[in-house]
Amino acid sequence: MLFKDIRDYQILFLGLFLVLGIGTRDWTLRSPLIAVAIATCLFTQWILSLVVSKEPKIGQFTSLRSALITALGLSLLLRADHWTTMVLAGISAIASKFLFQVGDKHFFNPANFGIISALVLAPDAWVSPGQWGEEWWYGLLFAGTGGMILQRVGRWDTTAAFLGAYSLLEAIRNLWLGWTWDVYCHRLMSGSLLLFALFMVTDPRSIPNARLGRIIWAVCIAIVTFILRNYFFISTAVFWALFVLAPLTILIDVLWSAPQFSWLKQEAGGQRTNKLNLKIEV
Amino acid sequence: MNRFKLVIPLLLVLVAVLCFAPAAWAFCGFYVAKADTKLYNQASQVIIARDGDRTVLTMANDFQGEVKDFAMVVPVPTVLQKEQVHVAESKIIERLDAFSAPRLVEYFDSDPCAVDDRVFEAAPAPRSAASNQLESKISDRSLGVTVEARFNVGEYDIVILSAKESGGLETWLNRNGYKIPRGAKQLLKPYIRSSMKFFVAKVNLDKFEKSGYQLLRPLQISYQSPKFMLPIRLGMINATKEQDLLVYILSPQGQAEITNYRTVKIPSNTNIPVFVKDEFGEFYKSMFQTVYTKEDKKVAFLEYAWDMSSCDPCSAEPLTSEELKQAGVFWLDGNSTRSIPASPGFGRPFPVNNNVFITRLHIRYTRDKFPEDPMFQQTSNRESFQGRYILQHPFTGELKCQAGREYKRSLPKRFEQEAQTLAKLTNWNIQEIRQKMRLNGSNLTNSWWNNFLAWLGL
Repeated sequence: MLFKDIRDYQILFLGLFLVLGIGTRDWTLRSPLIAVAIATCLFTQWILSLVVSKEPKIGQFTSLRSALITALGLSLLLRADHWTTMVLAGISAIASKFLFQVGDKHFFNPANFGIISALVLAPDAWVSPGQWGEEWWYGLLFAGTGGMILQRVGRWDTTAAFLGAYSLLEAIRNLWLGWTWDVYCHRLMSGSLLLFALFMVTDPRSIPNARLGRIIWAVCIAIVTFILRNYFFISTAVFWALFVLAPLTILIDVLWSAPQFSWLKQEAGGQRTNKLNLKIEV
Repeated sequence: MNRFKLVIPLLLVLVAVLCFAPAAWAFCGFYVAKADTKLYNQASQVIIARDGDRTVLTMANDFQGEVKDFAMVVPVPTVLQKEQVHVAESKIIERLDAFSAPRLVEYFDSDPCAVDDRVFEAAPAPRSAASNQLESKISDRSLGVTVEARFNVGEYDIVILSAKESGGLETWLNRNGYKIPRGAKQLLKPYIRSSMKFFVAKVNLDKFEKSGYQLLRPLQISYQSPKFMLPIRLGMINATKEQDLLVYILSPQGQAEITNYRTVKIPSNTNIPVFVKDEFGEFYKSMFQTVYTKEDKKVAFLEYAWDMSSCDPCSAEPLTSEELKQAGVFWLDGNSTRSIPASPGFGRPFPVNNNVFITRLHIRYTRDKFPEDPMFQQTSNRESFQGRYILQHPFTGELKCQAGREYKRSLPKRFEQEAQTLAKLTNWNIQEIRQKMRLNGSNLTNSWWNNFLAWLGL
């Protein structure tokens, strides 16, 4: 059963990054906080799907995968001085899926929602955008693993649109300012940016369904990120951009309609063979 | 099957908890020596005291030529007025350096035949006040350069410029007697276009002579801006080799870090051979160079992070409130606008009285590995860290009991371990280290293959 669901790969990769991060980047990452994030997310998901959702049981169990992915995402990106902040992030991340729904689709990326909640509500939360460094082999690893998942879920267009638009804007700015191109490369080689572009902005369950809609949406996020980073000097610009533009998904889904994404219809190799599970939602 | 799926995440949680139980982080030992900035030629030092978007920046001049040739051009985010510029005392940088320098501590093994005994240290706290703002205006538009303000502070003549284009600025500076290196034009442009102003200082020789100071004192500026960066790129124009920059960031929150480069902790808390006591400076320099090379020369090193109300072990007394004020700490004033965000039931409240947290970052940079100016951020991470190296003196008295004999047998292994640690940290030759430790002949109970490997230099 394992590794039939694409999310199993996602869990594997994110877990791998976490191990790599602890092992090779001397982070302020604290292991008890990772445990707290995982426990909180799984527990919140379990409770809320019992209370809120009328799904068949099998749906509840598979949805724990998503909760685990959210927890790993939070662990990778969010730092806190105290464990209660991680609990706050975990609960709000998962609860956002149940609270902010249109039809049966949630439009906030859960991990992103958790990060923003922690940054706003807790006094001791922060994000360390520099801590992945800019080593080429990390870039390669992220691109490889991310690419594999994107290929399977068919969302590479979103990453391409986001990175394309963002790097174009930065290139124009660099040219105008008159910095040398190594400054430009340094800005784009950031591991945190790649991680965001490949693993967060592409969550197929919360982003627009139609390809054109996704591209427009990703370009908007790139523009807002660019403005927040360069004109407001916000180091967490990408997360704010995604957060602010998440509700736009609803509008885009109305304008360009397309069938909604479901994890279980995406069989290995991207073949859609399983029609029976179409109705199962996260 | 479903149950099985649920079990896996739970197991993961359990594994995570078991594998990464937090390491106990206790500091103690007798303080012996520190590796301060006197080790480096031409290390620039900067103190940044920052709360919210208010900043007090103190820049120490490492200028070594004739005082009359001194000129400093620093891009700053806002137009500064006289009230925003001060001359600080050089001593304050020395004090912060001494307080936060990587340190050597020593322990003395107790008699293994008697009971164990260790010493702990700590010290009391400081406080502080002060800050400012205002205006005036003069213009000279022929070169697209506007003199936003002109004043003198202490022995310095200060001009604040804004410019429309880099050629004009370069010409203006040259005409007005500032020695600007070739190639500055290209580098001034990005700062002009990011609408930064230029803080330009030179020494007023009359006043300098009257003042009786031997050295140039640090300049201190205060401003309000969301930009939290250091424009180091201008300083790279003429640099032929690596430059050292020490940044002391004072914050009411917690540790500071760089957002566009990795911030890496300097190796710490390791046992090294006792002979290093006499050459701690050399040791630290070699170790820094080794780890700098290992990290591919593109990271910033964290050398110290501590709440300034205490130290353990202390390499210098904590700063008094008067000294903190001199270093630019402007909060704790009573009239600060900053309010500590209240967390509704979450997190711990911040300590209100002595909230000055120091982060000492050591950046060694070159043009090719550090293309972009470092940008900083303050975090709420209040974890303490210090570069700390331990000498453990063996017990030298007479050993008559069984435990004593075992202790004596364990020593060669310990010495060898220390030698290997030192070799690994500094890239020094292990044989020379062993010789210095006199780890040969009868003292060394190494296996033949270890000796062979060492002989091969492995």
